[in-house]
Amino acid sequence: MTEQSRLAACLPYAACLALSGVLWALTGQITYDERPGQLGPAFWPRVAIAVMALAAVAEIARRLFAPRADEGISGIGDALEASGDDGEADEPRSAALLLGAVLLTVAYGFVVTTFGFILSTFLFLVAFMYLGRYRNHLVVWASAAIGTLVFAFVFLKIVYISLPRGTAPFDGVTQAVLDLFGRI
Amino acid sequence: MLDLIGHLANGFLGCFAPLNMLALVVGIVVGLLVGVLPGLTLVMGVILVLPFTYKMDVTASIVMLTAMYVSGTYGGAFTSILFRIPGEPIHVPLLWDGYAMARAGQPAKALGWTLVAAFVGGVISWVIMVLLTQPVARFALSFSTPEYFAIVLFGLASVIALGRGGLANAFISLAIGLLVASVGTDAIFGSYRFTFGLPLLADGIEFLVVMVGAYGVGEVLSRIERGYAGKQIGEVATTKTELPTLAEIGAIKGMLIRSSLLGNIIGIVPGAGATIASFVSYGIESQIGKRRREMGSGTVEGIVAPQSAATASVGGALIPLLALGVPGSGATAVILGAFMLHGIQPGPQILITSAPMVYTIYASLLLGIVLMCILGYFAIRPLVKVLDFPEAVVSAFVMVLCFVGALAIRSNVTDLWLMIGFGLVGYLFERLRFPIAPLVLGVILGPIAEESFMNAMISFGNDWTIFFTRPISGTIMACTLVALALPVLASLRRPRNR
Repeated sequence: MTEQSRLAACLPYAACLALSGVLWALTGQITYDERPGQLGPAFWPRVAIAVMALAAVAEIARRLFAPRADEGISGIGDALEASGDDGEADEPRSAALLLGAVLLTVAYGFVVTTFGFILSTFLFLVAFMYLGRYRNHLVVWASAAIGTLVFAFVFLKIVYISLPRGTAPFDGVTQAVLDLFGRI
Repeated sequence: MLDLIGHLANGFLGCFAPLNMLALVVGIVVGLLVGVLPGLTLVMGVILVLPFTYKMDVTASIVMLTAMYVSGTYGGAFTSILFRIPGEPIHVPLLWDGYAMARAGQPAKALGWTLVAAFVGGVISWVIMVLLTQPVARFALSFSTPEYFAIVLFGLASVIALGRGGLANAFISLAIGLLVASVGTDAIFGSYRFTFGLPLLADGIEFLVVMVGAYGVGEVLSRIERGYAGKQIGEVATTKTELPTLAEIGAIKGMLIRSSLLGNIIGIVPGAGATIASFVSYGIESQIGKRRREMGSGTVEGIVAPQSAATASVGGALIPLLALGVPGSGATAVILGAFMLHGIQPGPQILITSAPMVYTIYASLLLGIVLMCILGYFAIRPLVKVLDFPEAVVSAFVMVLCFVGALAIRSNVTDLWLMIGFGLVGYLFERLRFPIAPLVLGVILGPIAEESFMNAMISFGNDWTIFFTRPISGTIMACTLVALALPVLASLRRPRNR
């Protein structure tokens, strides 16, 4: 392991350590009616923060100074499953696909209140299937349409979950679908 | 005993109510499908079905989720044996002997052995669950806050010790989970913690949001990043199941019972679910079994040991959930969530306050095991056909179910954003090899741990030695220390083994 890769491997733990510092400072802002002999509401989060910081420090130290930094103490499950590893970790990864999926997911969060559940879900399904490199257009559009209608029917008509209807003019789509269900 | 039989008889009658029966059948079928599909894990499947149960009767919803849980430990066996594709990590050990037996021209026999193993493991663990839950619950009624804290701490320690990833990573994951659980209004002092002025955060972060995000969205992001690189599915040679004869079963009955008991015990330990049971059982058989030298070449023992233990772990995991209110695995954590959504808190009182429901759940589990085996015998071909579904399509629908799951909890878009955030956390955890289970169990058990710890401190004048000086809590704390020492001891042994 080179010096650079060792430092890179420490980055997540350094981030955890920094997060611990920020959170510890935030616990100082928790207010309550102090009474002598009480541990207070900040005690428990501080225990968790201390655990995180200690684990991060230990891992940084191990990765920097231990002779075989790639082999730490691992859970029993890890040791058991190591023999069953099917090489999944070695599969090539595509940052573009990941970024696309994250952007689509975030976009859904942004538009769902405006477009409404039905329209945003339909658009998301179509976009996600194309993003996943599936190119059977008939299946994509048909499954997205049928899937959206099934979701809408189950959650809006049977289970009665309050899902966003959207704002004008997009709420017209939600209303049209609900009217359609009303006739069934 | 007569009381128990009477309650069980009523439970079976309750189970045949149309809604409960429908929930059972749907749960078994969906669980088998989830087990078969490599892109869907068992926990993920149970989480995704949860929104459908929000408006259902509580008994029917728990029946459906437990049915999914038990059949999810079996469905992946078909694809492991026939195509060398484990639908679940649980079934990785079946690749070694199950697939080898299939390659040796006996796929029907291999499928028959998994069916017998799942059935026997399931039934043995069901009997133990029915007999053990009530005494454990009765014993737990005598617990005070130090004992509760000790039990929860033991649960959290086991998750760390038995989980995947480095020990430091597991501790960090757990600490993040505990911190997420501490967001909101503190139950003892009524103070706001980490709310950043957001009204929704004052009510805390729902653990279902964390679970749906970390397990559901995180897994989909990981898989799409790999471009859904799956294995090519070959032609199915056969989907028939050839059951072993009674004489053949008799020849391995000792091993079958041993693996089932082992699976049940592992299931009881918090954090150690069906996957650990399956691997440990296979490992023990390769160490002490009569045919240990032949393991890996298509032996019956290599199929029966992991499958019976995996299915037996379900009954085991339900014991601490029902008797103590402590979930032992990811799937039982979701089932706990379903209970809580309907205003029921599992724990020592549940057998007193909701006995008819609990016995209906017991009965449905046994019926579910039988139904699962019947479907496993007759319906392998249509079940494995779902492997033809394009993963991009399945993933898109999984994502939408995650969105619905988050939106449905409190009908608030903030929960959707939190879920997306935890989805990214889940992805990063998977990428950096941080285990997700400690995070999730930290979120679920954190409030129980904190409340019992703080109450114990208030009651016993901040004397922390109380956890070690009281007999029951002291014993459990000793077990916790042993659990935490296990990975250290295992790592010390590792170089010698090489």
